[in-house]
Amino acid sequence: MSVVTDLLAKPGVVAAGEYAYRGDRFSYRGALTEEHARMASIMCRATTMGVSMEGSMLEAFQSRSGLQPPRGWMVHGPDYTVCVIANVFCLLENTKGSVNDIVGFMCQALANVPADLI
Amino acid sequence: MTTLDELMRLPGAMAAFEFRGSGELLEQRIAYPDRINESTLDLLAHMCSANMSIATMQARGWEKVTAMTGFYPIKEFTLIGFDWSVVVSGLNREQYKQAGKFSLPPFVGVVLANEKADYEAAFAILEKQEQVQ
Repeated sequence: MSVVTDLLAKPGVVAAGEYAYRGDRFSYRGALTEEHARMASIMCRATTMGVSMEGSMLEAFQSRSGLQPPRGWMVHGPDYTVCVIANVFCLLENTKGSVNDIVGFMCQALANVPADLI
Repeated sequence: MTTLDELMRLPGAMAAFEFRGSGELLEQRIAYPDRINESTLDLLAHMCSANMSIATMQARGWEKVTAMTGFYPIKEFTLIGFDWSVVVSGLNREQYKQAGKFSLPPFVGVVLANEKADYEAAFAILEKQEQVQ
């Protein structure tokens, strides 16, 4: 099974998908319309590119920074959390799922994805 | 115990810090000065401030476009690095805004080693409600 399919089977996951770093395509599964999933993938890609640039700047300040290379990011809202690792995103309903479990699963499942954003 | 000291008791805590909305570092605790120093934390604070603003803008826009709610206000932004993560929150500022205060408390953040990181425990500390002064 793919990481996205596995994610969707986890408690609280409303939708999950992946996007190409070059921005020309995306795919998703779950309770989002095609247009909203496209918008989510664009926002996730933009933020991933941003934190990647920021990680490189941090490395210039202090070498061997444990934040470089960034693996992903997470935005935790009152009811939903957006988790992104590599080029995979996941929308989690806070009361039904565990952020620790989702991040742990995604980091493990995507551990071997290259960090060069290609 | 201050929030920074409480954050430093989390498993794998490397540093905890407070910063202005504009990103300037105000106060910090550092567990391993050879691994993370004050100037790195200052840049990190500026980065986190920028990311909180972008995430807030995106959450606001997302809610308007999709009619889904539950994303705004952002409670925490987390950057997950190769070995460390940084979790930041400005949630306490929301109470002050709602109370009509112009002077807002600082953002608060913690740097955690990924192998021991408990994001939910960090969220719980960062979401403790303070008395509005």
